[in-house]
Formats: sequence, structure tokens, C-alpha cells
Amino acid sequence: MNLFRKHLRSVLRIALGAVFFYAGALKINDPQAFAGNIAAYKLLPYFANYLTAAILPWLEVFCGLLLIIGLRVRAAAAMVILLNLIFMAALAVAMVRGLDIDCGCFKQGGSKTPAWLALARDAVLLSMALFVFRGANRKEKDISLS
Amino acid sequence: MKTNRNLPVIAEMTLILLLATLVGIVWNHRLLSDAWSGKAVLATQKSVPSTQQGTTPLPLGLMQVKELYDRKEALIVDARDNPSFAAGHIKGALSLPLGELDAGLAAFRAKAPPTATLVVYCNGFNCHDSMELGSRLLGAGYRKVFVFLGGYPEWRDAGYPIAEGPP
Repeated sequence: MNLFRKHLRSVLRIALGAVFFYAGALKINDPQAFAGNIAAYKLLPYFANYLTAAILPWLEVFCGLLLIIGLRVRAAAAMVILLNLIFMAALAVAMVRGLDIDCGCFKQGGSKTPAWLALARDAVLLSMALFVFRGANRKEKDISLS
Repeated sequence: MKTNRNLPVIAEMTLILLLATLVGIVWNHRLLSDAWSGKAVLATQKSVPSTQQGTTPLPLGLMQVKELYDRKEALIVDARDNPSFAAGHIKGALSLPLGELDAGLAAFRAKAPPTATLVVYCNGFNCHDSMELGSRLLGAGYRKVFVFLGGYPEWRDAGYPIAEGPP
């Protein structure tokens, strides 16, 4: 792996971790508002909205932290990939249904982010996570070979 | 070989998920138990506050609103716009969109005497129209104004009576 790629990977890993840590930390403070934003997607039954609002921010924070400190990067990146796919599916469904809702991605009750913009943002995060995951995977292989 | 390398990733992901679930549930246990048992909230928090009030309407939970609704002790007021009202509202609710308050207040007064108990709602959670409308109704001379925080989504999801159609 050349040096540039290696450093790029570290930078992206930390940036991705910071984004997820930030997104999760904002939501931990206001689970009720987040539950409302999840409910607005009209995908889950009543209680599941609250349960998701209780757990998801912590999941984001943990994944973000692991990515930032560089521990268990493969698993954290894989989890971020999975989360991003779920977010994108939810946003796409909301767009198709024509729901005029806030994405609820970061600050709750802030200015409304259009669904297509949130979708594009998630696509960028997804590609970052894939890049980080591939790098971590390769590193794992190198170690097991040596 | 491949499964050997992939298994730990899945295992680690599961572990991260479990940890987040645990912390999330412990951290939010009060909110979750409230959400789980609207009935438990009713049992401990029986009475609807009888009088008020400054300029801020008092919030009510689902069960308290249902109690008032069943006893027909309150007029339910929908603060959302007309299309939202037409798409679905609490059965028997009066429509008074916040945006049309100035124009609609006279007609509203004809239906709701100043002594009436009003319960204002909108789309729940982070919809602030009901709070705003409640404050302005207090300002307009109504004495007993409450806000149903869970709003239409909570009411509908609880399976309580709803209706469709224009005001």
C-alpha cells in the first residue's frame, strides 16, 4: 500500500469517526425529539421509534469512537456501512412517498435538510466507510500472512 | 479461510450493537418505560390539572387527553393546516390552523365558549404549532388550554378514534 493511500485512509477514518461521533452525541441529548423524527418516516410502530431513538445515537457514538482511536476498525467501518445503507433506504422511501420531513440526521429540530441532500451526504459517508473498511481488511490480511 | 476472516467482524459488530443497546436502554430507561406503558403513566399521574395559568399552556399525556375526550370534558383543537386535517384528525376535533388564527378566531369563538377546556394538538413531538396556538388562545381569553404533546401520531398509533375529511 503506498504511503499516500495509507495516510488518506487514516484521515478518512478519523473524519468518518468524527462525523458519526458528532451525529450520535447530538442525538443522545434529545432522544424524544429524535423519536419524533424517526416516527415522521412512518416506517416503525410506535414503541420501536423510541427504542431506535434510545439505541441508535449510542451506536453511532461507539462506532465513531472506535474509528477515531483506530480500534476494531473493520467492525466499526462495517457497522457504519450497514447504518448508512439503512439510512439511505429510509430516506429513499421517504422521498418516494413524498414525505416532507426533516432527515433527523444531526441536530434535532434544526433547519430542514432536503432528503436528496441527506441521501447524497450518506452516499459520500458510505464510500468513505467502504474505503476505510477495505484498508482495514487488507491490513488484517497482511498481519495474518506475516 | 474467508469465513474465518469474516466471522470475527460479524461477532465484533454484534458486540458493538449489544453494547449500544445496553447503554441506550439504561440511559433512556425512563423515556422507554413511559413510551412502553402509556397506561402506567395514567395510573400514577391521574388527575388533569384543574386550573391555570400564565401564558404557557400545560402539557398533557395521551392518557390524560383520552380521559378528557371520553368524558367529553374538553374540546379538541387541531392546530395543523387544512390538508393535514383532511388527511386524518382526532375524531370530533375542531380545526384551527395556526396560520389562519386571525381569520378563524371569530368562527372558533362561536363553537368554543371562553369557559371551555381546550386541548390543542398538532403533529406531536417536535411540532410546536400546538404550543404556539395554545399560548395565543390563552392570550385570546381562553382560561383552560392544554397541549397534547404526542399529537395526532400518538393518538392514531394508539388506535383511538380518528376521522378524515375537511373541517
